[in-house]
Amino acid sequence: MNKFILIGVATAALATARAQDAASTPVPSDVESLRQQVQALTETVKELQQQMKDQQAAIGKTNGTAPASSPNPEGSPVAAATSPSPAASTAAHFATEDAAVVSSTPTSSPNVNANGTAVSGNFPTTDTSVVSSAPETISSTGTGASLTQPISIGGGGKNYMNISFDGLFALAGSSARDLDHIEVGDHDPQQRGFNARNIELAFDGAVDPYFEGFANIVFKLNNDNQTEVEVEEAFLQTTSLPFNLQLKAGQFFSAFGRINPTHPHTWDFADAPIVHGRLLGPDGLRGVGAQISWIVPVPWYSQFILGVQNGRGGTGYSFRNPGDGGMFFDRRTTDRELRGLQDFVWIPRWENSVDLSPTQVVLAGVSGAFGSNETGADSRTQIYGADFLYKWKSANAEGGFPFVKWQTEFMYRRFEAGRGVNESFPVAETFHDWGLYSQVLWGFKKGWVAGIRGDYLDMEDSRFTDDFERQSRSRISANLTWYPTEFSKIRLQYNHDFLYENFFLADRDVDSVFLQFEFILGAHGAHKF
Amino acid sequence: MMKKILLILSTILACAFAAQAKLNVVATLPDFGSLAREIGGDKIDIIVLAKATEDPHFVDARPSFVVSLRNADALIDGGAELELGWLPPLLQNARNPKIEVGKPGRIQTSQGIRLMNVPTTATRAAGDVHALGNPHFTVDPIIAKAIAQHIAQSFAALDPPNAAFYDGNYKKFEATINAKLQEWGAAMLPFKDQHVVAYHDSWPYFAHRFGINIDIFLEPKPGIPPSPSHLTEVIAQMKAQHVKAVIVEPYHDRRIAEKVANATGAKVVEFSQFPGGIPGTNTYGKLIDTLISRLAAALK
Repeated sequence: MNKFILIGVATAALATARAQDAASTPVPSDVESLRQQVQALTETVKELQQQMKDQQAAIGKTNGTAPASSPNPEGSPVAAATSPSPAASTAAHFATEDAAVVSSTPTSSPNVNANGTAVSGNFPTTDTSVVSSAPETISSTGTGASLTQPISIGGGGKNYMNISFDGLFALAGSSARDLDHIEVGDHDPQQRGFNARNIELAFDGAVDPYFEGFANIVFKLNNDNQTEVEVEEAFLQTTSLPFNLQLKAGQFFSAFGRINPTHPHTWDFADAPIVHGRLLGPDGLRGVGAQISWIVPVPWYSQFILGVQNGRGGTGYSFRNPGDGGMFFDRRTTDRELRGLQDFVWIPRWENSVDLSPTQVVLAGVSGAFGSNETGADSRTQIYGADFLYKWKSANAEGGFPFVKWQTEFMYRRFEAGRGVNESFPVAETFHDWGLYSQVLWGFKKGWVAGIRGDYLDMEDSRFTDDFERQSRSRISANLTWYPTEFSKIRLQYNHDFLYENFFLADRDVDSVFLQFEFILGAHGAHKF
Repeated sequence: MMKKILLILSTILACAFAAQAKLNVVATLPDFGSLAREIGGDKIDIIVLAKATEDPHFVDARPSFVVSLRNADALIDGGAELELGWLPPLLQNARNPKIEVGKPGRIQTSQGIRLMNVPTTATRAAGDVHALGNPHFTVDPIIAKAIAQHIAQSFAALDPPNAAFYDGNYKKFEATINAKLQEWGAAMLPFKDQHVVAYHDSWPYFAHRFGINIDIFLEPKPGIPPSPSHLTEVIAQMKAQHVKAVIVEPYHDRRIAEKVANATGAKVVEFSQFPGGIPGTNTYGKLIDTLISRLAAALK
């Protein structure tokens, strides 16, 4: 801005001088005094320029060391303004170059052999065009210095949070007319034809020096193409608690097992494992609550996590879930308010990981979820889980390929199904349900992954409950995924489902094929292990 | 007797304290690790997260890395988004305030470095472009000196009793590199302005330093695998410009480079940005020695 004023002043002064020059008959003394005036003005301009340069140099010293700012000069208006301005051509002293603003980029002025005559023994050992200053003068505001400093959106400018958008779609074909009964997850394909079950906005960033904030808002289209919105996650997390502790609070996925805490678009298959959808629920286990975690000070990775959540509604499926139309497992549910600590869902987890070799990692964990359910006044639910992950990745991996990943989860649920509200159901039962899945992913070539998965679910048979969600079943799935980049994917998956006969339901087989596609815009969330 | 026991006890204690007094340093990438070793010597314990032979853009965020970061007194990272895909979740989980950005324990090597090829518009249509500029900068020895100095000053601040030691090691490193630069510069001088092909655009700093042009790439865009049509173009360009060398890194598909080399009479040259990425290059100086001699041999 100052520059423009300066140019303005110079132009005005010189224009005046010239106008007078041309108009009036030159009287020697007048000419002389004008000349003096012009000279005085030129001196002033020079002085101002010098001051300006000094100031800019000072500014450059304090700010200009930020690496990103210097090679990409925003001072180009100056360069543009100097040459075409008539003032500049007249005032020969006006600077046409300003190293403080327009830094010579490394590519444009190769310091090496700049004159083409560099001889051996005279090879430069310093280069101010690449190393802008000695590190001691580097401001700590270099690349994203403070936690609260704006961070880049998709690598673009600076902002206070990362924003990304994720669209996950599937084209489904199935021998079943009721695909929504076959697929167990709420974000899985729910009907033949096209499905848009997971269109997601994600935000994250540093709240202040003490907290980081995360939010995932999911839009999904139901089978009638109406938009449903869910606040999938929105939580803050501490950054600087002592003793290796970390606190999380808000709405979040419970740390139960491997699949549950992750978002559907990061899954290796187009749908949720059966045991996950049927025991933890179609939306997984998530809710409003708090969680504390502690990294155990031992030489390997060992972490304890304890979460507590309301566990109410569909996202607390096996817990305080009033069910569809007030019915769950055929009982009319109580839908009561919290009475005490026992009505929360308590979710402990312990996970451990070791590196078997520089290319092999294993991670094993045990989880639990304990709370009450709505099928009776004092009905309780306990879920236990165990998970195991093995991953091999080549020591010469390009883009993360090739790799082999084997993941298995086992879950067992003890569900006390009471007699419903006002003892309206004839019997109380206790269901012992269990299941597991095991999957192997083989990234055989950069961008290409082949996967195979087996699912099994054993639901205790009951003569009193004909709920289709209590049918025992198994599934075998195979898929092939192509990731053109880490921001897009195309996946073809085949499922064969076996549903087993129980007291009420006949057995049946279902074949399904899914073509899933995904795109990500904006800041790409880094991959957790 | 009592005295002896006391002596032994105090020796053990002293040893224990001495062991504890070592700086625990974690480096995200092997080039930073190697420079830290030059500066820190036996006064530091260093753990390097990424392997020298793997693609630094895609490193698994292993849980064991969380343990290393949790115990770190200092973390050396690039700060130029090369580790963007895997470092943030590790740091979130490590919950170590000593290595937060802005703390003396966080050494971001890109500070004070003018990054090349800063894109004017950030669009992923251009492939995997780094918004802050090309992050493969350590292969320029002049930049490596600046990083080493940055590391030395940071170590001195974190461990003042050994400040002179770190400074001395930096001076030694600086002198070695300054002397070596004369050799390297002389070795590359005959090939000034020659064009060289690389698989990925990791070499603008190296090329700039030694006056060659590494400006044709087997990848059509950064991070996008070579396509047959692009390779045809590359072959035509190589023939027109008489390119004699194709640079591949340990994690690239060498067969593609060989195909192109065979079609043009060029040689495939195995390069690495990281000490240890190719055999016999366990220090920074040896790495650049090897790169220069390999490239000079191919360009002859």
